[in-house]
Amino acid sequence: MASEGGRKQFWKRSGSKVPGSIQHVYGAQHPPFDPLLHGTLMKPGSKPPTTPVKLKKVSTFQEFESNTSDAWDLGDDDDELFAMAAENLNTDVVMETANKVIQNHSKLQEQHKLQEEQLQEDQSVQSADLPSVTYGDKRLVKSVSESHTSSSADGVSEYSSMQRSQSLPHAPTAPVEREMADHNTSPTSALTEREASRLDKFKQLLAGPNTNLDELRKLSWSGIPKQVRPITWKLLSGYLPANVDRREGTLQRKRKEYFAFIEQYYDSRNDESHQDTYRQIHIDIPRMNTEALRLQPKVTEIFERILFIWAIRHPASGYVQGINDLVTPFFVIFVCEYIAEEEVENFDVSSLPEEVLQNIEADSYWCMSKLLDGIQDNYTFAQPGIQKKVKMLEELVSRIDEQVHRHLDRHEVKYLQFAFRWMNNLLMREVPLRCTIRLWDTYQSEPEGFSHFHLYVCAAFLVRWRKEILEERDFQELLIFLQNLPTMHWGNEDISVLLAEAYRLKFAFADAPNHYKK
Amino acid sequence: MAGSEAGKGNGGFRIILLGDSTVGKSSLLRCYTEGSFIPAPCPTVGVEFYSKMMDLPPGIKVKLQLWDTAGQERFRCITRSFYRNAVGVLLVFDMTNRKSFEHITEWYHEVASIQLMEKVVFLLIGHKSDLKSDCKVSTEEAEGLAASLGMGFIETSAKNNTNVDLAFQTLTNTIYEALKNKEIDLQEGWDGVKVIHKKNCNPQKKKRKTQEKCLC
Repeated sequence: MASEGGRKQFWKRSGSKVPGSIQHVYGAQHPPFDPLLHGTLMKPGSKPPTTPVKLKKVSTFQEFESNTSDAWDLGDDDDELFAMAAENLNTDVVMETANKVIQNHSKLQEQHKLQEEQLQEDQSVQSADLPSVTYGDKRLVKSVSESHTSSSADGVSEYSSMQRSQSLPHAPTAPVEREMADHNTSPTSALTEREASRLDKFKQLLAGPNTNLDELRKLSWSGIPKQVRPITWKLLSGYLPANVDRREGTLQRKRKEYFAFIEQYYDSRNDESHQDTYRQIHIDIPRMNTEALRLQPKVTEIFERILFIWAIRHPASGYVQGINDLVTPFFVIFVCEYIAEEEVENFDVSSLPEEVLQNIEADSYWCMSKLLDGIQDNYTFAQPGIQKKVKMLEELVSRIDEQVHRHLDRHEVKYLQFAFRWMNNLLMREVPLRCTIRLWDTYQSEPEGFSHFHLYVCAAFLVRWRKEILEERDFQELLIFLQNLPTMHWGNEDISVLLAEAYRLKFAFADAPNHYKK
Repeated sequence: MAGSEAGKGNGGFRIILLGDSTVGKSSLLRCYTEGSFIPAPCPTVGVEFYSKMMDLPPGIKVKLQLWDTAGQERFRCITRSFYRNAVGVLLVFDMTNRKSFEHITEWYHEVASIQLMEKVVFLLIGHKSDLKSDCKVSTEEAEGLAASLGMGFIETSAKNNTNVDLAFQTLTNTIYEALKNKEIDLQEGWDGVKVIHKKNCNPQKKKRKTQEKCLC
């Protein structure tokens, strides 16, 4: 309990700093102001909601709102964006997109008319100003904002928090949507206004002639709509140039380059010097858990080539188990460029034209390479990157949740015993593929996402299970729990909460090394 | 509190499985602890933990802490830290994979370089015995190797659940006998064997200091 108190006190202090930090956030919708988290920040000291401190917070929050409102306001800032875009964009394109959005909106509004009428009167204002959410999300949204506004006194902040909850991309996701195992948005027919507007913003940014990568990162931080995810990933990873005119040429050149590698190296896979590498890859791929993606021979061959070429070209690490997992998200997403995402399951990849498959293969190779460039020390001799990060994780957890840390320590659970895999496979073994994909939206939007930010995600992930961890009373139970975390039904909203928490930790600790030092 | 871990049994043995990639270490463990068989489980990364209680003939319960390890060379730095605290080692090879058999001596020396041999009980396992027609290692040859390294040999199959329990029982019995005959030296600070009377002191407290608040 004492440690609990210490923790609260600690967070209260850093909590007061949080509002000022918001400017650094990638993505205006970044969730540091997730009501859930906000609740945690507000809790310490349990001050009545109307104290001056609170009001000050509210005003800081308003600053935050005004700084970042572009992500959710459907009104003014859209004009601004249009104005910005108009400089670069063909007006016809803009108008076309705008019309689509408007059409979408009116369709949706019709759909929801009936629902709307049944909703409580007190929401009528809101529904006029704010997008309605499908599947009765409204009720959810309301409850979320209510839990927040119960601690805020004035209408302004109520409105803000309302907006904020709406702006959290996935927090209010209804079960139906969730069951569809969607990646980011529900099917087009069910696009909410907010989603449509987000998609529109992505499309405008991507249209060029020069994509503003900083803006793209900000927007992508809180999740990329599946319709634009392939191209956004290629841009964020640094594979595609920001300049639209250069993209096609770059793609052609890189694809050619990759197949030249194959030409050059792939025949050597059975040579004495390389056969161990190839054999390991060859036996590992059929053992992968790729979930929706069927490991048909065509896919297996592609994965083998990608991994073998990468290994040969990176002798310092070579092929290490776990790297194979990293191909899957890229491959799946790039396949989705050519088929509807719902079809990926049991899709016969070999039915795609050979040329398309080659493009997918080369793109997956290059994007995976870019990712691995940032974490290669995870896989070099003695895996120093992982050892270092596991140590940092331990250090970090001991600071943020001493109770959990002490509990693990008391039962002689070593971080290396469970977190090694978290680092080596970037949590891919711990969460479903759809969650990994969502996680990577953010990782690719963060500077050093896969290396540095991942550490904070791991810390948030561990602490996420604090209740269960503290309930386990012996070494075996603890370790077996930590090796089999119940994330099977996780969706975007779980990842969003995790990312928000990770961001909060990063902000509190990253530039404050003394937080680490005991 | 300190005794809680051993409270349910009379002690615990830490056992580690070593051998090349895809010889079937994880399948062996899954078969033993869960009674299930998955044809191609994901490659083990680093180490993975399983546990099971075992009854030894004289009415003694032993908790087995079973450590699965990654076979790939690159993980050896990580897995090595687990050798030290093991009292039992199953050296596993795939009977249909000659190389995995040839590497057994390497794995043996790998342990020997970290751990004092008088503390460890080994057992050689020839796995995938259900694939007789593909066998690349004869029983005689494997027995010969086991004898030369001073250990027993058992052929197992997780697919058919053949001899899997026997393998773990044999290893556990041998450890127990060795302990009884004081052939295994129980040292302070070594965790290969947990015995109740050794568990009543908990050195955690001295590690904890009151937490200094951060100064940043």
